[in-house]
Amino acid sequence: MSDQTDLLQGTLDLLIMRTIALEPLHGWAIAQRIQQVSDELLRVQQGSLYPALHRLEHQGWIAAEWGASDNNRRARFYSLTRAGRRQLATEVSKWERLSAGVNLVLHRT
Amino acid sequence: MRIWHVAAAWLRAVFLRGRREAELDEELGFHIDRETERLVAAGAAPAEARLQARRAFGGVEVVKEESRDARGTAFVDHLTRDTRHAARRLRRDWRFTLAAVVILGLGIGVNAAIFSVINAVLFRPQFVANPDALVDIYQNAPGGAPTGSSYAAYLDMAAYTDIFASSAVAFIPHPVTYSVGGPLRQAIAENTSASYLTVLGLRPALGRWFTEAEDTLKAPPVVVLGYRAWTTRFASDPAVVGRIIRIDGVPVTVVGVGPANHAASMNFGAHTDFWMPLRTLVALNGMPPGMFERGVSEPAFMVKARLQPGVTVAQAQAAMSTLGSRLAREFPKEDLKAGISVFAWRDVRIHPQLDVILAGFATALMAIVGLVLAIACSNLATLLLVRGAARVKEVSVRLAVGATRGQLVRHLLTESVLLALAGGAAGCVLAWWTMRWLSTLDLPVVVDFSLDFRVLGFALALSFVTGILFGLAPALHSTRVELWQTLRDDGEIRASGRRWFSLKNSLVVFQVAVSVFLLAGTGLALQMMAAGRAKQVGYAVDGVAMLQTDARYVVNTPADQPRLFEQLLTRVKAIPGVQAAVLTRDLPMNVAGLRIAIDGAADGAMQNAEAASIWAGPGFFETLQIPILYGRALDARDRQGAARAAVVNEGLARRYFGTANAVGRRFSLEPGDGQWMTIVGVARDTWTNDLGDIVDPVPYLFYRPIEQWNVMPTTVVARTTLGEAPLVRAMQVEMRRVNERLPVLTAKTMRQVLDDSLQAAQGLAAFFTALGVLGLTLAGIGLYAVIAFAVARRSREIGIRMALGAGSQQVVWSVARDVAALVGVGTAGGLALWIVAVLVMKVAPVQTSGVANIQFYQPDVDPLAMLTIAAFTAIVGIAASYIPARRAARLNPLIALRHD
Repeated sequence: MSDQTDLLQGTLDLLIMRTIALEPLHGWAIAQRIQQVSDELLRVQQGSLYPALHRLEHQGWIAAEWGASDNNRRARFYSLTRAGRRQLATEVSKWERLSAGVNLVLHRT
Repeated sequence: MRIWHVAAAWLRAVFLRGRREAELDEELGFHIDRETERLVAAGAAPAEARLQARRAFGGVEVVKEESRDARGTAFVDHLTRDTRHAARRLRRDWRFTLAAVVILGLGIGVNAAIFSVINAVLFRPQFVANPDALVDIYQNAPGGAPTGSSYAAYLDMAAYTDIFASSAVAFIPHPVTYSVGGPLRQAIAENTSASYLTVLGLRPALGRWFTEAEDTLKAPPVVVLGYRAWTTRFASDPAVVGRIIRIDGVPVTVVGVGPANHAASMNFGAHTDFWMPLRTLVALNGMPPGMFERGVSEPAFMVKARLQPGVTVAQAQAAMSTLGSRLAREFPKEDLKAGISVFAWRDVRIHPQLDVILAGFATALMAIVGLVLAIACSNLATLLLVRGAARVKEVSVRLAVGATRGQLVRHLLTESVLLALAGGAAGCVLAWWTMRWLSTLDLPVVVDFSLDFRVLGFALALSFVTGILFGLAPALHSTRVELWQTLRDDGEIRASGRRWFSLKNSLVVFQVAVSVFLLAGTGLALQMMAAGRAKQVGYAVDGVAMLQTDARYVVNTPADQPRLFEQLLTRVKAIPGVQAAVLTRDLPMNVAGLRIAIDGAADGAMQNAEAASIWAGPGFFETLQIPILYGRALDARDRQGAARAAVVNEGLARRYFGTANAVGRRFSLEPGDGQWMTIVGVARDTWTNDLGDIVDPVPYLFYRPIEQWNVMPTTVVARTTLGEAPLVRAMQVEMRRVNERLPVLTAKTMRQVLDDSLQAAQGLAAFFTALGVLGLTLAGIGLYAVIAFAVARRSREIGIRMALGAGSQQVVWSVARDVAALVGVGTAGGLALWIVAVLVMKVAPVQTSGVANIQFYQPDVDPLAMLTIAAFTAIVGIAASYIPARRAARLNPLIALRHD
């Protein structure tokens, strides 16, 4: 895998965690929400969402639970764990530092 | 926490696999359904919407695989799946599997069996209470190596009560005979102080241990049965306490049964049958009462002590060092003057000196059987390579459809480890059989050979290592394929398969070489035997027979014994054909190593010289036809009360008196005996009765008149002109006439005794032969596989040759050439290795471990043995290539050319 996907993967993790920080969501809804909130700027490759979700779950940052969806079907809902919230905070600050840095480089030179 | 999390995930992965897969399916299915719904709601046609949703999602299987991997349980997932696949493949290929399991079972089984013997001897722990506070104490031999202590020194050690809370002493274990009414049986006895069991912190299983009052010269003898002796020899009979059994002919009262978990004072796997008080050694074993004095020539008391609370081993050592120097000062003549060593009980298995020797021996043994395993491993690697080459197309297809090489290697390794585990299980069965067979042997000592967790663990670890070892190279090798080549399906690969220096060929050469090396070991052992047989023993063998008994089983007063033996001797002399007969002790030419001091010698070495003693009576030299070179033989003059006389052999005279004619010179037993023996005659050099001995070329012998030393005879030796085998029978008849209850301990010819002494060498030869033949058989199988495969591969080439007019002879020759090359290189390699080993043994420094004159057997390079081995491997080569060569010769060119 190239460095580019790694970077995207990290970003995807951040987006997922931020999205479910408000309320538990299932995979499809997470993808939709990211798309809506970002004004369709960010488009999640739907297939790549699930490996990311399972990895985050394995790392203990998010937890999954079966529940009923809006169309009354069984769906797997993901929510942030306490460790996940801490992780989200670090990730967010890291991202902000990164984007601030990148912005500085882009605009000052 | 984190580890627990991972472990739980792994367990879930193994046991909840099905459920998790279903959940994953459901989750992804829901996503696609939901997306389809959204698209329909946005106005798309249902079928079109579903298609679009799927396209947006991407490959479902890929997502599933990545999701599984993301869980971190992929390792377990793959392992279970690989194992299942491997098991299925092995089941399908059951012929190969069976062969592999048999080969590995033999290889691992031999190792497990040898390891369990070593385990029984070296590793099985003894049970004692609070082992950390227990120490073993040894007086050192001149030179500093720990040896036994004198009893007097033990009392001095025990007096350090501020260091030792309690202390005990045991005499080295020794064989005895016993009878419970029936025939005589052999057993192992140990004599200890009354404190022995309390020092170890153990209790008798039944009855009681003997008391201090029973450890006196006058006390009627008592015995405590060893626990295992009680269960195996006395059928766990609780009524045994109070019974009287005869040990070495003497009636002894059983007072108790020893603890169940304690085998012997020296932990070498043998179980002590009889525990007896120290002083019983005098009454039962004819030891001199002086054995408890300080100045004994071979101190053989082993001291164990329990440290006072808070005292360390180092402190005990310091105290004992002080004692050591004090003893050296106070008893300059009697003491060994070399200090005292203290060892933590845990650090000693049998005896500090023996431990080192046994560990070396065990290592050598494991290395040798390890060679067999190496053969089995490389053999299996050969088979796997051949099999891998046959499966090259399958591998190519799997690579082509996207399997990574790593995955394939993993599959193949799983398969070989699985095979190895099955082989390990078979090996354990084999080891178990061997151990059961060993237990049924009528060994003079009771050894616990049972398999325990150590042996099983060893076999398991060995299987794993073996599996990886033989699986890795073939796995790497057979997955390194060029897709375009193999899938094109034509002759290209054949060219690559004909490289001479291929892995397959090297493995076969290795197997042949190692087998040859092992067979050469047989050659060495046979050479040792031949050398033993060829020894000019220097005394009469033909016509000589002996009969050993123990008169104590029939007479209770020692004074009656000589009369009994005189009667026997008179009767034996009267047997027709008997030329001479003599009474002696033990088997004739049996030696006991002793230290002697030479009269008038200032040299320290001469005051502590090594020599071997033989008991002789009047007529001894005549019976065994040993020529007296100077002076006279021992005769009736040398009786009790007369000046002590001795005959020495020429070697001793030259070595210690500087002249062959040492008649009139004097020597004494060392140290401190003080009674001089005057040499009355010098006999020609002879061998002892131990031909398998690796000891020095000429033993230094001295003969003592048995009567003068008030030593009871046990054996009558006679020489006849009418054949020794009938004499053995005739002597037994005469003995029954003297007293029909006299037991027969030994009834043999001299020839039999000499042959028996070569048993060790014989056993060694059998051991090497078994391993060598096993190795060569395996090598033969490997050779067959390689050749058969090569022929199958070359069938088109051979077909073309035949079509072009090559005769079947030429074809066979081309196959035979390959075999000859493989076998030839292997044999040459093995023999070269052997020559190097022999040369190393020749130049290796001679070991002198405190005992003088030890010179290990030095083998020679034996061209005849080498030729035999080479012929043997040639036969195996021919046998292995017969079928493939015949197949090649009968190849029908037409069919062969249509082959693919």
